[in-house]
Amino acid sequence: MISLSNIKVCFGDFVALHDISMTVEKGEFFTLLGPSGCGKTTTLRTITGFIKPEIGSVKVGDEEITHLEVEKRNIGMVFQNYALFPTMSVYENIAFGLKVKKMGKAEIKSKVDEIASKVELDQDQLGKKISQLSGGQQQRVAIARALVTSPPIICLDEPLSNLDAKLRVQLRNELKELQRKFGITTIYVTHDQEEALTLSDRIAVFNKGKIEQIGRPDEVYNQSASEFVCNFIGDINKLSKDFLDKAGAGQRGIDTNKSCYIRLERMYVNNHQENHIDSEAVVENFEYYGLYIKYTINAGGTQLKVIEKNSGASMYKMGESIKISFDPASVMQF
Amino acid sequence: MKYLQTMNRKKLVVGLIYLGLLWFLLVMLVIPNINTVLFVFWQDGQFTLRAFERVLNSTRAMNALRNSFVLAPALSITVGFIGVSLVLITEYFAVKGSKILRLGYMTTLVYGGIILVSGYRFLYGRGGYLTNIFAAINPYFNVNWFEGFWAVLFVMTFATTGNHIIFLRNAMSAVDYQTVEAAKNMGAKQFTILRRIVLPVLIPPLLAVTIFTFMTALTATSAPLLVGGLNFQTINPMILQFSRMAGSRDLAALMAVFLGVATLILVALLSRLEKRGHYLSASKVKTSIVKQKIHNPVVNVLVHVYAYFMFVVYVAPVVLIILFSFTNSATIGRGQLSFSAFTFENYVNVFSRVSSYRPILVSVGFSLAASIAVAVVVIVVCRMITKHKNRLSTVIEYGFMIPWLLPAVLVALGLITTFNQPRWFMMNRVLTGTMIIMVIGYMIIRIPFTLRITRAAFFALDDALEDAARNLGAKSLYTFFRVILPIILPSVLAIFALNFSQLMQDFDMSVFLYHPLNMPLAVQIQTLTEEAAADNTAITFVYAVLMMVVSTVVLYLVYGRGSKVRE
Repeated sequence: MISLSNIKVCFGDFVALHDISMTVEKGEFFTLLGPSGCGKTTTLRTITGFIKPEIGSVKVGDEEITHLEVEKRNIGMVFQNYALFPTMSVYENIAFGLKVKKMGKAEIKSKVDEIASKVELDQDQLGKKISQLSGGQQQRVAIARALVTSPPIICLDEPLSNLDAKLRVQLRNELKELQRKFGITTIYVTHDQEEALTLSDRIAVFNKGKIEQIGRPDEVYNQSASEFVCNFIGDINKLSKDFLDKAGAGQRGIDTNKSCYIRLERMYVNNHQENHIDSEAVVENFEYYGLYIKYTINAGGTQLKVIEKNSGASMYKMGESIKISFDPASVMQF
Repeated sequence: MKYLQTMNRKKLVVGLIYLGLLWFLLVMLVIPNINTVLFVFWQDGQFTLRAFERVLNSTRAMNALRNSFVLAPALSITVGFIGVSLVLITEYFAVKGSKILRLGYMTTLVYGGIILVSGYRFLYGRGGYLTNIFAAINPYFNVNWFEGFWAVLFVMTFATTGNHIIFLRNAMSAVDYQTVEAAKNMGAKQFTILRRIVLPVLIPPLLAVTIFTFMTALTATSAPLLVGGLNFQTINPMILQFSRMAGSRDLAALMAVFLGVATLILVALLSRLEKRGHYLSASKVKTSIVKQKIHNPVVNVLVHVYAYFMFVVYVAPVVLIILFSFTNSATIGRGQLSFSAFTFENYVNVFSRVSSYRPILVSVGFSLAASIAVAVVVIVVCRMITKHKNRLSTVIEYGFMIPWLLPAVLVALGLITTFNQPRWFMMNRVLTGTMIIMVIGYMIIRIPFTLRITRAAFFALDDALEDAARNLGAKSLYTFFRVILPIILPSVLAIFALNFSQLMQDFDMSVFLYHPLNMPLAVQIQTLTEEAAADNTAITFVYAVLMMVVSTVVLYLVYGRGSKVRE
């Protein structure tokens, strides 16, 4: 549906994007994930036309839009702070793009009403000023404004980043619901791995202006393509060579000379299973999260973290000796 | 191909706008000032220091210079003392009726410059209301007592404390009350807390305001003109006199350049002080100041007496101007109020005689034209400097601040000496003596303030709004008028109103540039005040009341309703 081929973007001497290529399928929820300054927003702004690449092309279907002006692209966009026009009412904000297209008043009204009902904004809210709306309502106005001109693609640039944790989760669910309802191709930028994992059909993980991995959420989590990806997504233990050698991991298909990582939840405490690698450890500290408990343990000089579901039973005490085990297949090697 | 054509068209438009702004910068702000300097050093085709010799040999010029440099430090001290004491009375100590007192002390914000000077002259000058009372009590009282250095110092002291009230009041609100409580907790006495905790916070803004006062004294015009008498004329009135004599224009230019250099040095000092910054509270939770009750009963009474005495000094001229504006000429002449003398006659006269209302129309016309023009030009400048960050836009940004560094008199002289002959860069049109030079002069003196506030409004704009509009298909011009302008409009309107009000009262620029047939209000007031006939005084009072109404309405609209603009 939309494809980027060999995109290179420079700001003076600084190369912001190196040879970016990716394709987003029709109706897909595609997330650009990465830390600040990794190039995800630059990629989004290249797609929307605010930035022109030095090299490479952007295509929607078969149409090349690399040099098409922003105003003519018809790609919807929801900005980080929503960028709602403060001097206009909710109705005027949503109608803005239609007025620019010089549509008749009646047509504008019918389109605004239609989209407003889809995002659950009532007539009373349409007459309000932006400042009179809650964060959630503002998000719906921003989405309605971006969708009212029926763009084939919508881009969202960290629309939840300014909100508190509770509202973020609530709006995340609403967003997903709306995307399903409209079935629109969505490109979503975030630095929040949890947001990316819960919302996306596929994720592109960015680092230093390059794509490290594109894949489904479970793929990037369980089969990270690089050290950066496995470190960036989720909590992880780095297994030292010393620890692996002492545990005899070399005989179990693990190349101990490589950088080896394992997810916290893939290490078990006092729960040996067949084919697992075992090691003795001592509890050094714990953090109580309610749903689970995170233990910091020392396994022969290597500090590791493990999590245990909170079953209500007594917790391990500091200084207590435990036995940890893990499946060698769960170890990611780079 | 189409993309390239669109890009080229955009570049052409931007280039033309840059060209227009550069023309304005060079022709209005740079060339006239260079021309004034050349006028001093370059005569009959060669370099000369003749103007220096003439100034050094002129007793009047040297006296004016000396007087200015006596007035400036003296005024800085008196204004500093009174300004700080008034702020402490209204903001720090628990003085009864402090809200009313504050309003009284702020009256000079409503009536400044020429109106204030003429008001004080009516009260204290020869034949003035209070002078008459003093003379009635003591027949040997010198009725010309209100003239010379002390009169100028007195008038200007009360005329310029407005800045202290505004800036020190803000600084006082920055005092974290928890620091006062901490000092109390450690056993500090009331005076120690004031001296060691509160006053140090006020020192940086106090120094800045003092430099500003020093500059105001150096460029004083209306006070020495009206109450300085023959023996106490300062630089600006002298420049005015010299500039009106064909053979002495080089003297005027040299003194204006001298004033310009002095202002530049003071602005540099001011900027260094600003960079040093103000004290900021380091508290996690700042607490507002709580008014301090003065424990010593004698000091408390003395402070109250002082506070209300100052209130009377500030308010009396305003009240008397308003009251006497509703009395007949005979009452004004006698300086004695009675109920039977009240009439609307003066107002009817002003609005029914062409010669009386013409200055109002002239000032309204010039002020409106200049306020609109400066708003438009500055909006274009701000749009360019926020949209296109490059060397040219930086040059334009700093170039447009030039008038901030120069006294109005230098700008005015520059315009007069530059455009008194055809110039190719002004399409060979002579501007001196025309109405357009007044508008240009008015525009120039309001550019720095307008630019500072408008630029702040533009920088406060969220770039994403413009991106959003473009993303929704809007072109640049449509985005500007539909999205950007409505957001900055409140600031622009506030600046417009402040500019209009200030220009309505402008004397310093007007007195140099006005055409005798189109005399603006402030110059008319000065002329009428100098003539000192009762009929004239009545008209002056009506003018003064009208100006006060305009200022009050503008100040209320801009500051009183919580607008974002703060001068």
